[in-house]
Amino acid sequence: METTIWSAIVTSTGQESFGGFPRESYIAYALWGAFFGRIGSNWMYEYRMIEEIETGSVNGVLVRPISFFEYYLSQFMGYKLLTTFISFLVPIFITLTVANGPTIHARLPLACAVLILYLFLVHTISFSVATLSFFLTRVHGFTVAKNIGLTILTGELFPLDLVPEPYRTWLLWLPFSNSVFVPVGYLTGRLGIEDVARGVLSIFMGLAFFGMIAAVAWRAGCRRYSGTGA
Amino acid sequence: MNSYENVIETVDLTRVFLTYRKAEGIWNSIRGFWHREYVRKVALQPTTLRIEGGEIIGLVGANGAGKTTLLKLLSGLIHPSGGDARVLGYRPWERKPDFLRRISILLGQKNQLWWDIPPADSYDLLARIYDLDEKEARNRVTELAELLQCRDLLHVQLRRLSLGERMKMEIIGSLLHRPSVLFLDEPTIGLDIVAQTNIREFLAEYVKRERPTIILTSHYMDDISKLSDRLLLISKGAIVYDGTVPDFMNSVEHVQRLTAVLERPPESPRELASGLVLSPGTEMFTAELPATQIAPTLQKLMEISPLKDLKIEEADFEDVIRKFLEKESRLRATGGPIAT
Repeated sequence: METTIWSAIVTSTGQESFGGFPRESYIAYALWGAFFGRIGSNWMYEYRMIEEIETGSVNGVLVRPISFFEYYLSQFMGYKLLTTFISFLVPIFITLTVANGPTIHARLPLACAVLILYLFLVHTISFSVATLSFFLTRVHGFTVAKNIGLTILTGELFPLDLVPEPYRTWLLWLPFSNSVFVPVGYLTGRLGIEDVARGVLSIFMGLAFFGMIAAVAWRAGCRRYSGTGA
Repeated sequence: MNSYENVIETVDLTRVFLTYRKAEGIWNSIRGFWHREYVRKVALQPTTLRIEGGEIIGLVGANGAGKTTLLKLLSGLIHPSGGDARVLGYRPWERKPDFLRRISILLGQKNQLWWDIPPADSYDLLARIYDLDEKEARNRVTELAELLQCRDLLHVQLRRLSLGERMKMEIIGSLLHRPSVLFLDEPTIGLDIVAQTNIREFLAEYVKRERPTIILTSHYMDDISKLSDRLLLISKGAIVYDGTVPDFMNSVEHVQRLTAVLERPPESPRELASGLVLSPGTEMFTAELPATQIAPTLQKLMEISPLKDLKIEEADFEDVIRKFLEKESRLRATGGPIAT
């Protein structure tokens, strides 16, 4: 669907390129963006963390010498690494055979490394959202709203370099662009290594910021927790 | 193995839960955003306890009395509203890893093992969580599974096991790391009589071998009377009795159950004792009476009619506890004198 839309957009301009990039670049972006976007989002494990706190199943973790954050991080990363490996076979196959566009396959390892680093941030944000379960009856709506917002901020819907300044710069300094726009942009030649370096820096800044929120929210939540279900 | 004095100590340990009343209907739901009627429930009144190493404490009380709240505080699941507690020298709610490695809590109505994998896999994971030697952990699993007679079930998905079988697996999981302090919250609830007996026998054997400190809550008085060294009765958040089971039975009024079958039922109401009336047509008479009233009541019955059958039984532990707690609950509700 996205490749159709982008083809139509570029064709409608009557030119071979749009925003400085050819039609093939957008098609490659849409193809890779779909996979990077799915890998870089978190619904399932966020819902699981929320449900564990809501139902009191978290008791099983609280009474053991293991951190709830690390426990779910290991599950989340294990699941994502496996699904990344399997699901990326599809776009790799397509871009090597049918749609042999501007994808620079040699850049794939670094693009994946950025995405994997980004997943630590995804988990930290999910953990922060899950801690709301200590304070509110139902928090699933926050997950939905957050993920919808991230669809735009990550660049999954459209490449962020189409956004006018100064918004473009703000968006690129937010860590969320490292889910899709930075790795896919780098992979398809839209971005260079300096953009990747900035992206990595923004991920670490995001980890510090959301990590602090997560730690404070968890401590406050544990003080308030009533041991539901026990 | 456990040679601590006062493994568990609490000083005025208190827990208050703040909830709110929500009236039905959508308008009241919306109104709840700006106006809420909060309710303060004192789940545990200031409680001071000392429990020595190796003691087995039976904690008994009605639903909502505060038993599980006390367990949750001592295991670190929740923070107190006031007071202090030390378990093995640690404040439980600080949840330090060294503390968590030495305690275990078994919640009778909740699974703590992983639902979709066989218990053997769960125990491997637990061994890593508790930093146990892999080989020792496997030997420990085998040892416990043999005691519980469930070795053949270790490689079956947990979800496919019956409730009694799952409880056995939960027990193995909770004892894998040889905890010094064990909190058992209704471990036999919902189990059939055979499973209850099996688990009771296992716990009795385990306690003899390992001598952990145990706090056990149960609504089944057989669990309490057969396993506990010490009895704590809790009512409306307060400990109302702290002593041994035999001392408790001796301290309450000695009650017996009298059952008599009359040859000639009376044709009109007959008074047997103050407040005790034999209704017309009653063929089988049953009453629980203080032991001192059995003989006079029996004499009155024999004056009314010859007896075809007669049975005098000791009131059982469960009935005695029930009456004691009912009386305490009434006294607390009316502000009357409380047993000490």
